[in-house]
Amino acid sequence: MEKTLQVLNDLVRAKVLSRYAIGGAMGATFYVEPVLTFDLDVFVVLPQTRGGLLTLEPLYEALRARGYRVEDETVNIEGVPVQFLPPYNALLEEALAEAQETRYEATPTRVLRAEHLLAIALQTGRDKDRERVRLLREQARLDLKYLNGVLARHKLEDRWKEWTA
Amino acid sequence: MDRVNAKAAALFAAKETRRRKLAGLPFPDKVRAVVRLQRMAAPLWRARGKQVAAWEIEQSARQRPTR
Repeated sequence: MEKTLQVLNDLVRAKVLSRYAIGGAMGATFYVEPVLTFDLDVFVVLPQTRGGLLTLEPLYEALRARGYRVEDETVNIEGVPVQFLPPYNALLEEALAEAQETRYEATPTRVLRAEHLLAIALQTGRDKDRERVRLLREQARLDLKYLNGVLARHKLEDRWKEWTA
Repeated sequence: MDRVNAKAAALFAAKETRRRKLAGLPFPDKVRAVVRLQRMAAPLWRARGKQVAAWEIEQSARQRPTR
């Protein structure tokens, strides 16, 4: 996966991406026990297009030019199917802005904070998100003060209470 | 009956300890574990009609398990 992350960093250097951070199951795996997933969810901020249009096409184009294949909703980058997701609401925008810088082996990268991954799972609300909330609650070292702030800002306190009752 | 419950409780406790140990592994080691899970799970998913495959990632010398 290191090569995959090197490609993402290269896209940032080339200004194809403004920033990115790992989310989804692999983001959660950073904090908890390994979780089965077949793709790597990467939240991305693209430089503003002239019309202000939210499209991943310039990113796909840059990846195609580097020889990577777009397969349905993912792009296979160095053996890893990567799903790019734009931050489609305020919670995701905040999560991306406050993502944690880390290293994968020798390669710098960014991962969403555990508190944001938990809030995103609460907001998404599927069965597998309940499981993710449970895992993060049990195994991640959560900053509860920070988490409470996130839940309040994004009106997720009721669901948090409901899911943890 | 109590003895069975005690045995089961010990097994669950050991399982929980292992899960917490896994949670504390370095990220590259966890990714390697995910790829192992993918190799185990992919045939089952494919049998249910979902097109999935284990990641084809090279492991650096640091990532390779030592024997």
